[in-house]
Amino acid sequence: MESIVVIAEHAAGHIKPVTYELIAFGRKLQRLNSQTLEVIILGSEITHLACKIADISGLDVTAIENPEAASYNGELYSKTLSVHLHDHQPAYVCVAHTSQGLDYAPSLAVELNAACITGIEDVVEIEGCACFARPLYGGKITAHVRANSQTAILTVQAGIFHFKKDDAKTAGTVAIKSVQYKPRQSRTLGIKQIESDTAGLTKARVIVAVGQGIGDKDNLDIIYKLASLFSKSAVAGSRIVCDLNWLAYRCQVGVTGATVSPRLYIACGISGAIQHVIGMRGSEFVVAINRDPTAAIFQVADVCVVEDLFTFVPTFIETCRKVKDNSGGDICQF
Amino acid sequence: MKVLVCVKQVPDSECPVKIDNDTGWIRIDDITEFKMNRLDEFAVEEALLIKEAFPDVRIDAITVGPGRSVEVIKRAIGMGADQGIHIITDFEDYQSSLQISNWISEHARDKNYDLILTGTMSEDNMQGQVGTMLAARLGLPCATSVISSVIATDQKSVYVEREIESGNRDTLVLNLPAVLTIQSGINSPRYPSLSNLLRAHRQELQTIRANDLALPTSREDLVQIVYPQKSRAGLVLQGSQEVKAAQLLEILHRRSLL
Repeated sequence: MESIVVIAEHAAGHIKPVTYELIAFGRKLQRLNSQTLEVIILGSEITHLACKIADISGLDVTAIENPEAASYNGELYSKTLSVHLHDHQPAYVCVAHTSQGLDYAPSLAVELNAACITGIEDVVEIEGCACFARPLYGGKITAHVRANSQTAILTVQAGIFHFKKDDAKTAGTVAIKSVQYKPRQSRTLGIKQIESDTAGLTKARVIVAVGQGIGDKDNLDIIYKLASLFSKSAVAGSRIVCDLNWLAYRCQVGVTGATVSPRLYIACGISGAIQHVIGMRGSEFVVAINRDPTAAIFQVADVCVVEDLFTFVPTFIETCRKVKDNSGGDICQF
Repeated sequence: MKVLVCVKQVPDSECPVKIDNDTGWIRIDDITEFKMNRLDEFAVEEALLIKEAFPDVRIDAITVGPGRSVEVIKRAIGMGADQGIHIITDFEDYQSSLQISNWISEHARDKNYDLILTGTMSEDNMQGQVGTMLAARLGLPCATSVISSVIATDQKSVYVEREIESGNRDTLVLNLPAVLTIQSGINSPRYPSLSNLLRAHRQELQTIRANDLALPTSREDLVQIVYPQKSRAGLVLQGSQEVKAAQLLEILHRRSLL
């Protein structure tokens, strides 16, 4: 019987939550294709992690023990998994769409002569076939892609599929396999912690975030003016804005920056790529201002303003000022 | 030292993208502005920094794409690359990363590049696969999302820092030759210089027709493209700017946000 294999992601002795999301994704895929579902975990001293996954998920887990795999190494993952999976010929191999998963998944696909579909956000059935939904053009378009090979490597976007524990299920079995493989072409030196202080952002009740649409650092003034209308507000930016040094990296919202959940998030000139959206989708209320009506940010906004931010933001500030003058009071308070 | 930089032409990220119902692909003729994939600019700059740090470095810039994509090769040369290679395709539709990496590996196989650089991901296809697949095809080590790279003085290895979630870094050493996929923020890409741009327009580029290379079959099919589903209510404000501003103020008031 064809199988679906989930590759667990773990670091520093902990199973990453995305592993259970992959299992939830695997179950959804299983409902379409009725294949078996199992988990593989790769590393050194991982028996207890394998048992934990088997216990929580009820799935059978294979632990591939390698003393050389104390920390992640792409070459080691790709080679070890390709040897192991070559004999199994699974239909689908589910990998996390993370800095780690995306580092070895395409290489594994080449080794296994498999299809490789990355950044998957959903699985849909079209004419009896499982198709995978993934973003194109910064999320403005969704593609439905189908594998046409024996095996397909899938990387699944984190934070989309929710795992529910089935208490009635008994724990799955754990098989332990020992391998000896030492990376030949690379040597992993470990994780370097980077200090970044995003506390200011995570505490803010209102975040005014700015994207590449602002055009230049000098144009940030209107963003600061907009933010000053609100109490307990902060100015944040997308990755691009920080790369360009228009804002400091501690102001970055997204996968590689802060994850925020303010009461109000105003996105100005932000395209809304998934890497940014992951950092802000927990916001209570989202207003998006962008002149491109197809911008992906509008898919996650409660209020969509299709306007040029350079004219709209000053108009909005002026409107607020007028209302404030007329009412004679301060409207800018919670 | 020989460095190959892979660059791609993509629509400007602010260009609206619409679906053509007749072809089942995007309305490519409506895209008014194309540019070099932003992450690839960082890859070109990284190559240029290596050229400045070591003697006798030669940089080749390669692209796969239709005729118009020659512009990104000219831009790479304008920034300071030495030579350009254009693998010309006849089509505008969805390209599998496997196909693109196979074509590039056909070119690179016997050229003895010491280092191959790509952007971490293209803005249009967003697959993030070409660099890694290229490395696998050529049997080279690869590091993705590289945010810092230092080539050893003996030019036999490269130390890299990969950007991982929450901004932390995974550090490793790769033997050369190697493939690195470059993350944004690693450097500040320069603008093309006038003298280099003039050279780019004079200089003959190497062109290869994709059809002349052994055509690898794609292992995935694009079934259809659709507009994404909204995850929130998404009230689209209508009217003049002043009307929209008043509406927004009213909404924020009602929710006690302003």
